[in-house]
Order: sequence, then structure tokens, then C-alpha cells
Amino acid sequence: MNRSRLLPVATALVALGALSACAAPATSTEPSSSEPVTITFSSYSYGAQGTMGEGMQALLDAFADEHPEITVEPQSVPTADVLTKARTDVAAGSAPDVVQLGYSKMAEAFETLPVQSLEQLAGDEWDGHVEGINEALVQTGENDGETAALPFTVSVPALFYNADLFRAAGLDPERPPTTIDEVRAAAEAIVANGTNGAYFAIADASKSDYLTQSVINSAGGSVVSKSGDVAVDSPEAVEALGAVQALVQDGLMPAVGVEDALANFSSGQLGMFVSSTAVAGNLAQAAEGAFELRSGGFPSFGASEARPTNSGAGLIVLSTDPAVQRASWEFVKFLTSAEGYSIITEQIGYLPMRADLAEDPAFLQEYFENNDLLVPSLEQLADVAPYLAFPGENANQAVVTLQDDAVEPIVLRGADPQSTLEQVAERIREQTGQ
Amino acid sequence: MTARLRAWPYLAPLLILLGVWVYGPAVFTVVLSFLDWNLTTPPVGVVGLDNYAALWRHPEFAQSLVQTVLYALVLLPFSTVVPLALATLLWSRPGRAAEIYRAILFLPVILAPVAVAVAWRFLLNPLQGLVNEMLGALGMPPGNWLGDPATALVVIVVITAAKVVAFNMLLYGATLASIDRRVVEAARVEGATALDVARSIVLPHVARPTVVLALLSLVLAGQWTFTNISVLTQGGPDGATDNVFYRIYTLGFTFFEIGEASAAAVVLLAGFIVVALAWGLVRRVSRAT
Repeated sequence: MNRSRLLPVATALVALGALSACAAPATSTEPSSSEPVTITFSSYSYGAQGTMGEGMQALLDAFADEHPEITVEPQSVPTADVLTKARTDVAAGSAPDVVQLGYSKMAEAFETLPVQSLEQLAGDEWDGHVEGINEALVQTGENDGETAALPFTVSVPALFYNADLFRAAGLDPERPPTTIDEVRAAAEAIVANGTNGAYFAIADASKSDYLTQSVINSAGGSVVSKSGDVAVDSPEAVEALGAVQALVQDGLMPAVGVEDALANFSSGQLGMFVSSTAVAGNLAQAAEGAFELRSGGFPSFGASEARPTNSGAGLIVLSTDPAVQRASWEFVKFLTSAEGYSIITEQIGYLPMRADLAEDPAFLQEYFENNDLLVPSLEQLADVAPYLAFPGENANQAVVTLQDDAVEPIVLRGADPQSTLEQVAERIREQTGQ
Repeated sequence: MTARLRAWPYLAPLLILLGVWVYGPAVFTVVLSFLDWNLTTPPVGVVGLDNYAALWRHPEFAQSLVQTVLYALVLLPFSTVVPLALATLLWSRPGRAAEIYRAILFLPVILAPVAVAVAWRFLLNPLQGLVNEMLGALGMPPGNWLGDPATALVVIVVITAAKVVAFNMLLYGATLASIDRRVVEAARVEGATALDVARSIVLPHVARPTVVLALLSLVLAGQWTFTNISVLTQGGPDGATDNVFYRIYTLGFTFFEIGEASAAAVVLLAGFIVVALAWGLVRRVSRAT
């Protein structure tokens, strides 16, 4: 066969290769119940750079010391791909036993994955264990009337600021901005002094809408109304996103991606960075010896009170083998215990989901006396509006649509908030069957 | 046993592998394109041509198709002319220096694709990246290279081009190595210039591989760019860097619309079959004339 005949065949084979990528046979296997038990843990914190990865390793080491009979095999997964990997693993019959899953993907996971009831796995231990854990976030993990996810690495958005840039701009670092108008005013002063003003990390690569929900909630709105209808085109949503857009249009916020802005803030060239407290540990490391890093609560928009929405992840169990389920519960129980939450706070910078730990001398009292970066968020925890998921099994698709087709174009590229949100709301209604 | 029958046992391993890994899943994909399936729960049922209709109803798919062609066209010179020029330069001056240059130019092929993409993210940081710093030093304005829909696709192409140029340069180098240097020397003795040598000896020798690489570039451009799109832009901003391969991945493994993703793959296959048939027709006509 000469080359001219080979080429069409090769072309067709390449195309078939592309086709084959979409076909995944579905089989199932039963996990082993032999002792000692080995469980798999799918996590986006494990193996991550900086304090995130180090803190997760410390958690795994502490669990291994306490439960030598249980071997945990961690699987590192990019944040945006946790649900994708879990679903493809389930389809391939190799589901991870425990998954660290972001709240923006939780509703879809409940609809499409074999998520186990943690209450049933815990049995008599349940009531005693959950006592003291943030109630609103425990309720966020409810599926069909039973808790299927416990809060794990949870954060709320906060305002981090460079106190040195505040002083240089003639601002008082003891009085961080508490409203969007004050953020604007502070940003104007900082920009006038030659550096970048403020940045809302509202359109990030992981396609989470926690900050979108936070600004809309803080303007008095909600992405989903009380009756369950999609409400991303409400006047409050238009006002909230319009206010963030105005920062960009007035040169007070750089129109760049979150990673670029984070690098800019870490190098001391950006005055304020509004983002999840998950970055607190890494920011503190970057600021050490370079500039004075401080934090404030999430700002309010308009006349409404600040109502930040939590981000981060909960823990779910997918295993169906009784022995593995027992080991998985022991693992989840440890990660959400006083000791587990203390390690998460001290080493990574997430908020402790047992608020009393902050005043407990046996756990985090000393930490909070020496580290005030999380204190404003801890104080704001009572005002947190729990993450709201769009209804149905296309919840994650709806979030990606909201972030890619509305939030990013509006905030970073000047799209009209009103018409853009109306168009995207229609699309999301179609996706969610409304 | 006849000679024809005796051939089958030798062919069987390859045919079985092709059946299991290529044609079987391909047929399965065609079947899936008519179903409503989310990967983890049993298929809801046969939906006819609904998945195909959904592709055309949503503008993202058509946009990704157009941009796939755009990627191929913009990458075309980087898969043909540029590597040919580099390979010819290195071939025309053999020696240790040429070997060193060849090794340096080939480096992008052996670097981990994700690591390269992450490095580019730092270099292209619009606020403090090295690229903008260098442009500033030259008195040129900075750019938001990956965040601006007007520049993002070109940047993805340029980043991808380094690897394509390096790999095809090696292929051209292998072709050029088969040219008998005594022919070149004889031509020079007869008074041929470097341009004469390139036009009369080198180009006829590399004409066929050039056509093959050009066509492969049209077919593979979308796949070459996949990693850079995935790491750097996720198809954005405003879908400006999306292509049909990334769209299929998004539909299938971000949105879990397996039926729609399969329909997109079938449409892509149909497109490639048309290209292959057109190529065969061109060859036949050119041979007849």
C-alpha cells in the first residue's frame, strides 16, 4: 500500500481514536473486606503545593499513628476534576472509598454517585460526633433526609490586605474596609500611590461560584430563590456583579485571572485580595519578611449585611463494602474530630468547623492568640449563608455556565450585567429543567 | 491451508487489538450518541437525534469546530515551512555545532507538557510576567495574553508550535539525511548556488513528507493543543481557545453529557472521513492527469 492510500486510513484511525476516548465500559468490582483494611482517598489537598499539601500529609500521618490497622491510599486530583474523576472511577468500577468534594459539586454528586449515609455508617456514634460541628454546614451535607457529607476543609471569603500599602496610601490599617464602597475608596488611594488596588477572586479556574454567591447574598439576593427557582438575574445579582465590574472599569481592580492576581498580591503589589481563607496559609508564607499581611471580614454590598458563602469541601463515602465502610467512617471521624480540625486550621489555614476549639487551650486557643489572620472570618462564621446548589443532576454544569458565560465576561471583560445575566439565567433554567 | 488462510493467524493479534481498543469503542460511541446517559446511572433511553440537535442548538460546538480549523491553519506553517527551514540549515552545516543546535531545538518535545504549560502561565502573567517585562523594556505595551479573546488562541498556537516545530524538524532531518551529499558537492562544483541546491535537490526530496506533515497537522492540531488549553485557559476566555477535542472532553467529562459528547465525536469522525475521501479523490485526479 503506498503512502497516498495509507494517509486516509491513518486519518480515519486518528479520528476513531478520538471517538474511542468517549466510550467507557461500565463494570463493577467489590472492594476487599480483608484485614488490615486499605481505603482509597480522593483529595485535591493531598499533594498540593505549599501548606495545603503539607497539612494534608500531617493529617494522614496523624491518622496512621492512631489507626495502624487502616492503610489510607491517597489519590491527588486537581480541584476542578474531583467530581469528574469520581464519576469516571465509579463507571470503571474502581470508586474511591472517601472523597474530598467541593460544595459546588456536592448536589450533582448526590444525584449521580453511590453516596453513603454517614449517619448510618456511624450508628450510635453519630450524635456524639457531630455535636459541636457547625450546624449549618452539617445540614448542607444532607441527602434524602440523612447526612451524607461532613464539612472538612471549609473556608469563607475574607478580605486580605497589605498593611504596608495601606499606610503608604495614607489609609489606616487598623480600619479595613467593611463595605464595597469602602473597598473602592481604599483601592482608589492605593492605585493613586502606584500599585494595584483590589481584587475579587470571583472567576477562578476551578469554576466554583462561592464568591459569586457571596457578593449576590451580600447585596440581598441569592442564586436560587427560596422557592427553588434560578435567580441569578435578580436585581440584587445585577447590582452586586455590576459593583465588582465597576472596580475593573475604573482601573481599581486588574482584569486578570485569579492565579495572576494571587501572585501579584503575594509579591506586595496589590492592596487587597478578596478570596477564600483557604489561601491564608500560603499568603502568610509569602508575606513573611516581605510585607505586613492582615485580614478583615467579607464586605457588605449596599444596605444589606455581609453574607459570605462557604467554600471548600466536605467528605463523602462511596464504598459499599461493610469492612471498608467501617474503616472509611473511622477516617472521616478522625478528619472531622477536634484533633483533625485543629491540624487543618493550624497547618493549612481553614476555619475550624468546631467553633469551641478556638477557645480550647488543649487545641486552638494558643494558635488564635498568635495568629489573628482567621479571626475576622471566625467571627463572621455565624453570618455565613450556606452554599446553595442549583437543583438537579446538572448542578455543576449550571455553575460552570454561570461562571464562564456570565461572571467572567461581566467582571473581567465589561459585558452588560443585566442582559448577560438574563441570558445565562435562561440557559441555567434549561439545564436544570425549570 | 491456502496462503490466504494462513495469513489470518498472523493478522489476528492486530485485528483483535484494533477491535477491542478502536473499532469496538467507536461503534459503542455511535450507539451512545443516540442515548441519554450520564456515565454513572443506567442510560435513560433512546433519544434519537436529540443529541445531534443539541449540538447545533448550542453555539459552543459550532464555534469549537470553526476554531479547530483555525488552529490547524495557523499551525500549518509551524508543522511544515519552519521545521523544514531549520532542518535544512542544520543539514547544510553538519558538525558538532549542528548536533548541539538540534538537541536544543528538540528539547520542547521531551519536556513534560503540563510543566511547560505551567511555566508559560508564569511567563505570561499580565501583571508581572517576564514576557510583559521584556516588552516594557522595549517600550511596547503589556498584554493580557491569555485573558484577552483576541490574543489567547494565537498564544496557545505559539506555545504549541515550539513542540510541533521541534518534532517535525527531526522528521525532516531524517529525510534530508538520505540525500547523497556527493550529489550536492557535484552541483556546487558545477556552480550551483545554495538556492539552486535547495530548489533542485532538497525540495524535490522533501515534497512528499511535507504534504504528509501538512495533512497530519490538519488532523492532529486540535490534539496537540489540548494540554495547553486544559492547563492555561480551559477553552476560555469566552470560548476563544476552545476546539472540538476540548469541547468533547468538556461535554463528556465535565458535564457528563455522554450522549452529546458521543454525537460530537461522530460528527468529528464524519468530518475526517470527508477529508480523507477528498484527499483520495485529489490523488486519483492528479494521477489521471
